[in-house]
Amino acid sequence: MGELRAAIAIGKKDLTVLSRYRIAVVSQIFTPLYQGVIPAFLFGASFAVAGRVVGLEATVGTENLAGFIFLGGVVSGLVATSFWAMAMGLRNEMDAGTLEPVWLTPTRHETLVIGRALGGIVWFLISQIVLFAIGILVFGLRFDATILLALPALLVAIVGMVGVAYLLAGIVLLIRDANFFIDCTNFLFGVASGVAFPVTLLPGLFQAVALLLPTTYAMDLLRQYAIGARPTFDPRLEYAGLILSTLVLYPLGRRFFGRAERIMRVRGSLSQF
Amino acid sequence: MTVSGDLRAFAASARKELRIVRRYPLNYVGGVFWGALLPAVYVLMGQAYSGGSDPRAMQAFAERAGTTQFAGFVFVGYAMYMWLSIILWGPGTALRREQIQGSLEATMLTPVSRLVLLFGPGMSAIPNMLFTFVVTFVSLWVLFGVVPPLGALVPVLVILMIALPAMYAIGALFAAGVLRYGEIGPVVQIVRGTFVLACGITFPVAMLPAWAQAGAGLLPPTYVVEDIRAAVLRGVALPGLVSDLAVTAGLTLVIGALAMVVFGYLERSARRTGMLGRY
Repeated sequence: MGELRAAIAIGKKDLTVLSRYRIAVVSQIFTPLYQGVIPAFLFGASFAVAGRVVGLEATVGTENLAGFIFLGGVVSGLVATSFWAMAMGLRNEMDAGTLEPVWLTPTRHETLVIGRALGGIVWFLISQIVLFAIGILVFGLRFDATILLALPALLVAIVGMVGVAYLLAGIVLLIRDANFFIDCTNFLFGVASGVAFPVTLLPGLFQAVALLLPTTYAMDLLRQYAIGARPTFDPRLEYAGLILSTLVLYPLGRRFFGRAERIMRVRGSLSQF
Repeated sequence: MTVSGDLRAFAASARKELRIVRRYPLNYVGGVFWGALLPAVYVLMGQAYSGGSDPRAMQAFAERAGTTQFAGFVFVGYAMYMWLSIILWGPGTALRREQIQGSLEATMLTPVSRLVLLFGPGMSAIPNMLFTFVVTFVSLWVLFGVVPPLGALVPVLVILMIALPAMYAIGALFAAGVLRYGEIGPVVQIVRGTFVLACGITFPVAMLPAWAQAGAGLLPPTYVVEDIRAAVLRGVALPGLVSDLAVTAGLTLVIGALAMVVFGYLERSARRTGMLGRY
C-alpha cells in the first residue's frame, strides 16, 4: 500500500512539474501534430484519387487515412511515454541532482519507474484526447464504436511497455548521457511497431524484430477494431503474441533494472553525470 | 577597423567554428542515422499509401508532385529538412552558445564588425550540409536502388551554390533573435516545423491551401527543394531553372539585409537593457 502511495505521489509530482511549463505542455500537443500528423496526412492525401486513398485501401483494407495516422499516433505516443517519461525521467532526476536523495528513501527503486509510468500515462491520455478532438474537428477523423474492443490490447501493451521502460531505465542509469540513444531507439521501436506503415513492408530482419514487440500486436488490433483494417495475423494469434511478449518483457526489464542498479552501486556512479 | 581586418576576423571566426565541428566527429553518426532512416520511413509510408505503386495512386501523386518517383521526392525533401535543422540548431543558436559560455559579451567588446559575429558561425554549417547531401544520395541508392542521373550533377551543384547563401541568411536572421529573447530552443522547433509544412519537404506544395502556397513562395527552401527535384527526378536543365534561381537569389539578398537590420536594432536594444550578459 505504501509503495502504491509513493508511486501515485511520484506521478503527481511529475504532472505538477510538467504543468508549470506551459509552453512545453502546448508543445507536447502540437509537435506531434505539425511534425507527424499533418505531413503524413498531406503526403497520404497526395496519393488520393477523387478523394479516396485507394492505395491505402489496397495495402491495409481501409481508406480511412486519418484513422490510420491518428491510431498510429496512439501507439507512437505510448512508446514515447515509455522511452522519455518513464525511462529518461531518471536521467532528468540525475541532472536536477535529486536522484541520490530519492534513491535513499525507503521506497523500492522499482516503484520510481512505476510512479513515472503513472504520471506519463495520465499525460498520455490527456494528450490523446486533445489530439483526437483536433482530428475529429479538423481532419475528419472517424472510427467505429468497436474501438472499445481494442482497449484490453492497449492495457496489456502498457504493461509490456513498463517492462521496456525498466530495461531502458537500467541502460540510462549505466550510460548516463542517453539522449541520442533514447532518441534513436524510440524512433526505431515506433517504426518496428508499425505506427507509420504496416510491418509487412519492413525489410525481413526488422519484421522478425517487430514480432517480438507487444506494441506491434496492439497497433494491429487497434486499427482492426477501430477502422476495420485488415489484420496481419488472426486476432487470437495477435492477442497471444501480445500477452506472451508482455510476459517476457516485464520480468526481463525488472531483472535488468535490478542488475543495472547493483552495477551502479558497485561503481558508485549514482551521483555522476 | 578596416575591411581587411574584418575579413581576417571573419576567417578566424570561421576557422574557430570549423575546428569545433571537427572536435565532435560523433555528431556525424547522428547525421547518417537520421539522414538515411527518416526519409526511408517516409518512402515506406509512400508504399503503403500508394498500395505498392497502384497506377491510379501513382498518377494522382504525379499530378501533384510532378514525378512518380516518390523515393527521390522524399529523400530530396529530407535533405532540405536536415539542412534546416543544421542551420537552425547550428549558426542559429551559435550566439546563444556564446551567451551561455559567457564569451558573447567579451566578443562584443572587440572592434570587429558585428557582421562577423552574425555571419561567422554560418561557416560551421557548410561541412555538415554537404555531408547531409552525400548521405541523402548514397542512402537513396543503397536502400532503394535509385541512382540520380549524372546529367543532374551540374544543375544540382549550381542550385547548391545559390542555396547555401540563402540558408546562411535564414540562419543569420534567426540568430539575431537571441539578442532579444535569449533561450530560443522551443522557437527552433516551431520555425523548423513551419518550414517543413510550408516548403513541400515531405509532400507536394500543391496539397496546401492557396494562402499557404502564397506564403511558401516567400521562402527560399521552397524553390531550392523544387529545383533539385526538377533536376534530379525530371531531368530539367539549368536554363529551365533560371527564374527560380533568380527568385532564390533575390530572397537571399532580402533576408540577408533583413538579418543585418534586425541584428543592429536588437543589438542596440540589448545594450540598453543589458540583455547581452543575461540568460
